[in-house]
Amino acid sequence: MDRTSKNTRLGRRAFLAGAAAAATFTILKPALVRGTEANSKIALGLIGCGGRGSWIADLFVKNGGYQLVSCGDYFADRAQGVGKKHKLDAANCHAGLSNYKKVLADKVDAVAIIDPPYFRPAQAAAAVQAGKHVFAAKPIAVDVPGCTTIEAAGKQATGKKLVFLVDFQTRTNAFYREAVKRAQNGDIGRLVNGTSNCCYPFIFGKDLPADAEGRLRKWGMDKVLSGDIIVEQNIHTLDVDTWIIDAAPLAAVGTGGRKCRKGDDVIFDYFNLVFEYPDGVAVSFHSRQFGAGPDGINNVMFGTQGAIETHYEGAVRIHGKAPYPGGSTGNIYEDGAVANIATFADSIKAGKVDNATVPPSVRSNLTSILGRIAAYTGKKVTWDEMIKANEKLIRNLDGAKD
Amino acid sequence: MNQRQRVFRVGIAGILAGAALLACGCKRDVPKTPPPTMAATAPASGPASVTGAGATMPAHPGAGATMVNSVGMKFLYVPPGEFRMGSDPAEPGRHDDETAHDVKITRGFWIAATEVTQAQWQKVMGLNRAEPKGENLPASRLSWPQAVEFCQKLSQAEGRTYRLPTEAQWEYACRSGAAEPYSGGKLEEVAWHMDNSGEAPHEVAGKKPNAWGLHDMHGNAAEWCRDLYQRDLGPAQAVDPAGPGEGNARVVRGGSWGHFARACRSAARASFNPAYPLDRIGLRVIIEPKSPNPSSNP
Repeated sequence: MDRTSKNTRLGRRAFLAGAAAAATFTILKPALVRGTEANSKIALGLIGCGGRGSWIADLFVKNGGYQLVSCGDYFADRAQGVGKKHKLDAANCHAGLSNYKKVLADKVDAVAIIDPPYFRPAQAAAAVQAGKHVFAAKPIAVDVPGCTTIEAAGKQATGKKLVFLVDFQTRTNAFYREAVKRAQNGDIGRLVNGTSNCCYPFIFGKDLPADAEGRLRKWGMDKVLSGDIIVEQNIHTLDVDTWIIDAAPLAAVGTGGRKCRKGDDVIFDYFNLVFEYPDGVAVSFHSRQFGAGPDGINNVMFGTQGAIETHYEGAVRIHGKAPYPGGSTGNIYEDGAVANIATFADSIKAGKVDNATVPPSVRSNLTSILGRIAAYTGKKVTWDEMIKANEKLIRNLDGAKD
Repeated sequence: MNQRQRVFRVGIAGILAGAALLACGCKRDVPKTPPPTMAATAPASGPASVTGAGATMPAHPGAGATMVNSVGMKFLYVPPGEFRMGSDPAEPGRHDDETAHDVKITRGFWIAATEVTQAQWQKVMGLNRAEPKGENLPASRLSWPQAVEFCQKLSQAEGRTYRLPTEAQWEYACRSGAAEPYSGGKLEEVAWHMDNSGEAPHEVAGKKPNAWGLHDMHGNAAEWCRDLYQRDLGPAQAVDPAGPGEGNARVVRGGSWGHFARACRSAARASFNPAYPLDRIGLRVIIEPKSPNPSSNP
């Protein structure tokens, strides 16, 4: 039986979703006729067509294993922009707050969720419910209930033989992976303390419009829609902390605030916190999103016999009695996304639905939320208190179109 | 059949095969001229085999057959067989370079019952850089090329082929039929690791051996293997895998007194720059038979 006839017999959707795909799915070469080529690819819907959404759509297409067939964004101009670039039918370019429901109703096998973090839990849960594979940008939620929703959606996906991948770029890098593995094995001895930093200039500007549509367009400035910089961006470094320590923090204490931006609904300019981990391990965390350099995401964790040092798009190494020279990680921002896009396709083809990226993503997301609560309240907050409080963030979007 | 049953079955099958080889006890295969300074013994409950210093090798080596070489290293015969290499995704402490897959070992080999001691290293190499010092402490602070040199010197002295084990041979011997993360008993019974070692090496064979009589496969000194390291363990079904042809790091197995328990699991893989002589890495050697016939002498 040739590939084409097998595809036809099984039915393309069942072919992509079922365990049978593991042994038989093959991405056909572009040289083959267009109809056959299209049938061999994963039909992808893009939810969120802003800066990163339109950028990552290109990477999905470049991978060769996907065909972008649908897209959605609150703003029609953004959805239409992606649709025009990728030659989608206008009927498959959706707008409004419920754009994701329309994307899910299109003939898609998988969705990439790149909308503002505030919306991601509901969108991911709906996608899994609809039987779609999910590729989700980080962070996956802005609050504890959102993390709980993602955790459940990941498990549900596994039960439905669906892939759910969270796109953390650092975890794909060979130097990070090897260095973290060695630290976890004991090559730097017992962990003692560490520092982690995430510093950048203004990314989303200084001002937040008052109206709903204005906020949706500048969602990165809204502390609820984005989760604030500690959840939306600083999670990169906090994820590395929890990865190295392989545990969630017990508590956090510290501060944060605004010197450059103004307004209660606006994101903080900075956070300074201490996270307390099991076995008395302490991590000093510092972030900034204003001004000028030195910039970067970096972590240093000291052990009794050495230290692990990591720099996003820089050097990763281990110092001490069992050194590891590592190397420079290169363009993780793009290389990591490319790697995750490839892994997503491979996992779908192979029926690999352990969805191993979900639990550590939930853990680091909650860690970021813990730090935010501690900074907002100015009090020491324990993990258990945060979980018990189960605070849900709500942004009034009256005036926005459905 | 689940993984545990499968590995167990393979292990038992291997032992039975080895026992059968021993049971036939064909003296005609004993070489006329015994290798110099090699002593051989049979397991107490096993079939007859020649014993005593300077005597012949076991006629038909099988599981449980033992011998002692010129520097006092005790070797045990590991018969050919199949096993499940790597770990299940649910195994606590695993890393993602341990993809479980079936491996076939087509040739039996002799493997040292313990890590090479400092006294044995001193006899062969004429020096000992390990710290702390102790005759029965594992040799350490030795690079991968020095470990290979140790094998070469022993080979030249005895006319046999001493080598570092491939990581497949190492894990096959370590598991000795067990699918569990630690073979031979509970972790504390079989391993010196960071949380029970006082963060220092201990005399070899201070812990229980595994089912095939091998000590300290988990912990004490980590052990250089022959292979270059690559994250991907290879095809779903591999025959005598020996690692990639290119790479920068050499595989190290077993974890050490300075590693956490997770690094001492049967499936745990580590890699280090071969030029680094580290205080936690030593070696265990094997003797490969000259002939693919497992009944031939090494």
